[in-house]
Amino acid sequence: MANGGWRIARNRGGAQLPLALLLAFAIALILIGKAQSNLFDQARADMTDFASPVLNAMRAPLSGVNQWIGNIGHVFAVYDENIRLREEVARLRQWQNTAIVLDDRVKRYQMLLHAVPDPALSSVMARVIGRSNHPFLQTMVLNAGTDQGVKPGQAVIDARGMIGRIYLAGHQTSWVILLTDLNSRIPVTLEPGNVQVIMAGDNSGAPALDMVSQADRPLRAGMQVVSSGDGGLLPPGLAIGTVVDDNGVFRVALLADSSSSEDVRVVDFGKKAEAPPGLSQTDLPAVAAGLPPAAPPPPMTERAPAPVAIPPGAAPLPPPKVDGKPGTAVPTATAPVIPHNPAQSPTSDDAANAGTNE
Amino acid sequence: MERTGSIMGGRILSAIIPVGLGLIAVILGNFPISFLGGLVPPPLLVLMPIYYWAIVRPDLMSPFWIFVLGVLQDLFSGGPPGVWAASFLVTYSLIDNQRDMLAGLSGVGAIIGFAICALVACGAAYFIVTVYYWHFPPLAPVTAELAMTVFVYVFGVFVLGGIHHRFVGPLRSDF
Repeated sequence: MANGGWRIARNRGGAQLPLALLLAFAIALILIGKAQSNLFDQARADMTDFASPVLNAMRAPLSGVNQWIGNIGHVFAVYDENIRLREEVARLRQWQNTAIVLDDRVKRYQMLLHAVPDPALSSVMARVIGRSNHPFLQTMVLNAGTDQGVKPGQAVIDARGMIGRIYLAGHQTSWVILLTDLNSRIPVTLEPGNVQVIMAGDNSGAPALDMVSQADRPLRAGMQVVSSGDGGLLPPGLAIGTVVDDNGVFRVALLADSSSSEDVRVVDFGKKAEAPPGLSQTDLPAVAAGLPPAAPPPPMTERAPAPVAIPPGAAPLPPPKVDGKPGTAVPTATAPVIPHNPAQSPTSDDAANAGTNE
Repeated sequence: MERTGSIMGGRILSAIIPVGLGLIAVILGNFPISFLGGLVPPPLLVLMPIYYWAIVRPDLMSPFWIFVLGVLQDLFSGGPPGVWAASFLVTYSLIDNQRDMLAGLSGVGAIIGFAICALVACGAAYFIVTVYYWHFPPLAPVTAELAMTVFVYVFGVFVLGGIHHRFVGPLRSDF
């Protein structure tokens, strides 16, 4: 069977290079590749660019087949999954309310403190046209390359979180090294606690956490993992996943599922931080509440935290709920809240003055 | 004269087919598209023509061509250069030493013979990658690739046998 019933040839060719010599070449190639990791990069990029029309053409039908195959296993668990998803939706709605309240509060504080906003991230939308799931390499191919502004090192995210980063960019295509890949190592921050660690992929589904810098700060399951931005490699604050305890080894359950992502964003962090936008009168809480604009204040050298004006009849913000438990307040740095006094607000309302103090 | 030209053309064609099939296997095996939703890694398709013709016609699948196919496998798969080239050469040395035994296998035994060689190839690659990264990669993906490769070989050997009988063998009647 192995030889197909055919007679075996004995002639091995007299002009062949010795096996040992070729093996030495191969080992030398490995060493050269270790020293210069981009040895094949240009050839790979050109090759993927060349194959991109075929990949684009095959993407749609194969995507349907893959989804169908992927859903086979879920058919038998639809009922249980439906119940679980209902509960999760209810819990996430509570979190959504909390997030909206906190987001609004943070924006107001940033406005009052003249905080420099996070740099605006430009991004390129790209479509996943290929996936490579080799034992020692997990990548995906995008249909955007240097012609669209994609560069190696940029973060790739989908609607749920970070997937990986660009490591090879051709003209029309680019390769993404997934967070789960053996070569992936990125600095991350664990919240709460601001613990700085390295997240290292090992070709398993959940990357491991490595090199804990603060040994006195114990890790625990449930901590949120975001990119730290250390080294300027990636933008800070990109959602990545949640810490899970895998038999004593802390790993990261990723939010994004790279196997099902179809459209992704390539985030350009090379853009410099933008200057803080000037506030208009309509942005100020006092004006938004229907009060007249305040006069420009005299120059100030040092000032106390700005109080927040509460419009007449408005109740102070209730403490947000955490994990669905009423009355559990999220510890945040809050400015003093004072009751609104219409007689004093035009002149003493620091919130109104804050906007004209630039 | 015409017959001589025909024989020469046939020799060239028969020499090209094994390596050409190896090249096609490299391209197909590393095409970044999964037909199974990424559930399992793709099979190591290129190992099949290497194994088959290294046993049946070692003059057509020489170590040099195995090195070339290994380098192409490294290039197309996106992994570190040289890993599969070295792994295939290590596997070839096993095949070269055990050619008579492997060629005498049939039926399930032939599949087991191929499985052993695939195990050597994957094991060598695993060892090299472990040293390369100084880190043990998980065994499950390599094991899955090995299983897929052996599974596909059960069907692939008939294709290779058919091609050999139809094109390679008759064109080189001196063997």
